[in-house]
Amino acid sequence: MAGELVLQGLRRRFGTLTALDDLSFSVSAGQVVGFLGPNGAGKTTTMRAIFGLTDLEAGTITWNGRAVDSTLRRRFGYMPEERGLYPSMGVGEQIEYLGRLHDMSAFDAREQTRYWLERLDLAQRALSKVESLSHGNQQRVQLCAALVHRPDLLILDEPLAGLDPNAIDTIGEVLVEQAKSGRCVLFSSHQLDQVESLCESVTIIDHGRLVATGSVDELATSGTRRLVVRVDEDRDARWAQHLPGVEVSEVSGGEVRLVVDPSLDSDVVLRAAMAAGHVSEFSFHRRSLSEVFREALR
Amino acid sequence: MKILYLLLLVAAVATVRLLRRRARRASATRRARPSLDLAFLKGGVALVTWREVRQRVRGRMFRISTLVILAAIAAAIVIPTLHHAGSSSQRIGVVGPLSPALKRVVQNDVRANAGVAHLVNLSSASLAKRELASGKIDFAILNDRSIVVNSLRNSAHAAEIVQIARDLGVAQALSAAHLSTGQSALLARAHSLRVTSLKQQKASGANVGASVFGLILIFMMLQQYNTWTLIGVMEEKSSRVIEVLLSALRPLQLLTGKVLGISLVALAQATLIVTFSLVLAKSVGSNLLHGAASLEIVSILVWVLLGYAFYSWIYAAAGSMAERQEQIQALALPLSLPLVFGYVVSLIAAESGHATMLVSVLAYLPPTAPFAMPVLVGLSAVTWWGFLLSVLLSIVSTVAVAHLAARVYRRAILRTGARVHLREAFARY
Repeated sequence: MAGELVLQGLRRRFGTLTALDDLSFSVSAGQVVGFLGPNGAGKTTTMRAIFGLTDLEAGTITWNGRAVDSTLRRRFGYMPEERGLYPSMGVGEQIEYLGRLHDMSAFDAREQTRYWLERLDLAQRALSKVESLSHGNQQRVQLCAALVHRPDLLILDEPLAGLDPNAIDTIGEVLVEQAKSGRCVLFSSHQLDQVESLCESVTIIDHGRLVATGSVDELATSGTRRLVVRVDEDRDARWAQHLPGVEVSEVSGGEVRLVVDPSLDSDVVLRAAMAAGHVSEFSFHRRSLSEVFREALR
Repeated sequence: MKILYLLLLVAAVATVRLLRRRARRASATRRARPSLDLAFLKGGVALVTWREVRQRVRGRMFRISTLVILAAIAAAIVIPTLHHAGSSSQRIGVVGPLSPALKRVVQNDVRANAGVAHLVNLSSASLAKRELASGKIDFAILNDRSIVVNSLRNSAHAAEIVQIARDLGVAQALSAAHLSTGQSALLARAHSLRVTSLKQQKASGANVGASVFGLILIFMMLQQYNTWTLIGVMEEKSSRVIEVLLSALRPLQLLTGKVLGISLVALAQATLIVTFSLVLAKSVGSNLLHGAASLEIVSILVWVLLGYAFYSWIYAAAGSMAERQEQIQALALPLSLPLVFGYVVSLIAAESGHATMLVSVLAYLPPTAPFAMPVLVGLSAVTWWGFLLSVLLSIVSTVAVAHLAARVYRRAILRTGARVHLREAFARY
């Protein structure tokens, strides 16, 4: 099932607005990849382009080296940002129908529909009309529709938006499980703490351009170094204010967070702190995904 | 006739130009175009078609509208026969003697008009006139010399009275001539000379009824199914299910499946209505559809389908440009104008029983042919090749319209927010 989605040089404008500006990145199988960016960064346009739902002015999209076409797309699963289901059609019937549109046999589609409805606690609602379900349950049905045909690549646009913690946990489990089974999972979200807990890799875009990509660990530890220092005699961190190559990021409760120039030896910082008083804490700080995101967009 | 040749020429030139343009574009563009191969039809299109059929047939509106149409047709067929049955029993006043031979003449003539004669002896002409005025008798025969009626209700009633009067006169003349048995038999076998009219014969009441019935059926069905298509496409867009569908299907597959599905439902409903009407009319002895030849019925079914095939693409393209009810209403009005125009002009022609020049021209224009051509068929005012030509023109136009509509649909269906205008739908990006 191993595969790789490669997006190369995507370009798209809407009037004077540039939605995608030479955007390139790739997504490998076996990973849950978070697709991040501020509102209007071009995430949804990118996802729609993968499914041929928006025309590109330039660029190529390939899956395992082959240009993505309508045949390949039937091996992909998609959950659009604005949920889309037939409101007056039954839940089970609808998932089965969407499965069959993805080349499943009638029997297989029925069996897989049953499996996913049970897996996502919707078995009791199989005969209900979609419009009669709560927002959370409609979201689960939408996920079933994206998963029913065992897609090789799963693209989910804001799958966690508006869900309660239990639903987020359930969907998160499913995404991780799908990645572990060798599938490629790309999803966008603004809930960075959830992304950090679910994803091994992230891709961050802004104004249609790639600004950062890599594993969460790499991004958290790369770039500028961060130090957390506590000097008991100088709780306002005056000692660090004018230290060359050091920027005070935050002072709180006697603890100071410093952004240190990569070329500066951390011993210099330690000595300056010790000269100011007793150092009760001195540690390297790993960036949170929120910090990675903000710094990438700075 | 010249107009027909001209239309044929224009259609042929347009088809050739369209095919050449398509061929040039196919070789010039890198984008793969969907081809109408078996896989195209077998996969997504068949599934979309089947879903459309199931959803439509299951719908409460479909069931209710079918029942309402059948009930209306049943009323239109049965009620006139009830009225007719009431008046078929005729009470005939007889003043003075009337020989058994003349009584038989009267009874035979009434029976020939699907009635039963009850002869009532009356004492005087004045009594007979009072009975006529009060409606107790239908007409009176006075001293086997004259017939008195209160009024002649309609042309059929007048024809019946004239027939009885003439037959009574002939019977009396034969009796007075004292002819031999052989001579009487020879006269009895006499039949009228053939009459040929240089001008077109006016349709009979039964033919008019069948034509009007067919027109109303075609108009109602086209309105219903086109509205389904318009709203169905708009709802797929407004509910955003379109994005999920188009992640697995090509736009043309989805559009073709929808049009095919609704066409099948339309054909099934039209067949049900026509069959029901014919069976009911035959069983109750109605003459409403008496003149409807099998060709006319086939013509109605053919034009329901061709009409829907032509308009459905246009309505689908219009539906893809809107996502709210008020936008739909603004689009539906101009689209229905050619439908209403064709319907009204054809209805007037059908009721007059004359194929006017306007109807003859409209019968070859694809937007109005679904109404005008069945009227020409009902009036026997079209040749088989004229009918075939109109069908071909309609098919060629449908292919051209489908081509343009698919393009608009593809560009407009994924655009949300304000109503998409045609200029935007044809824009490059």
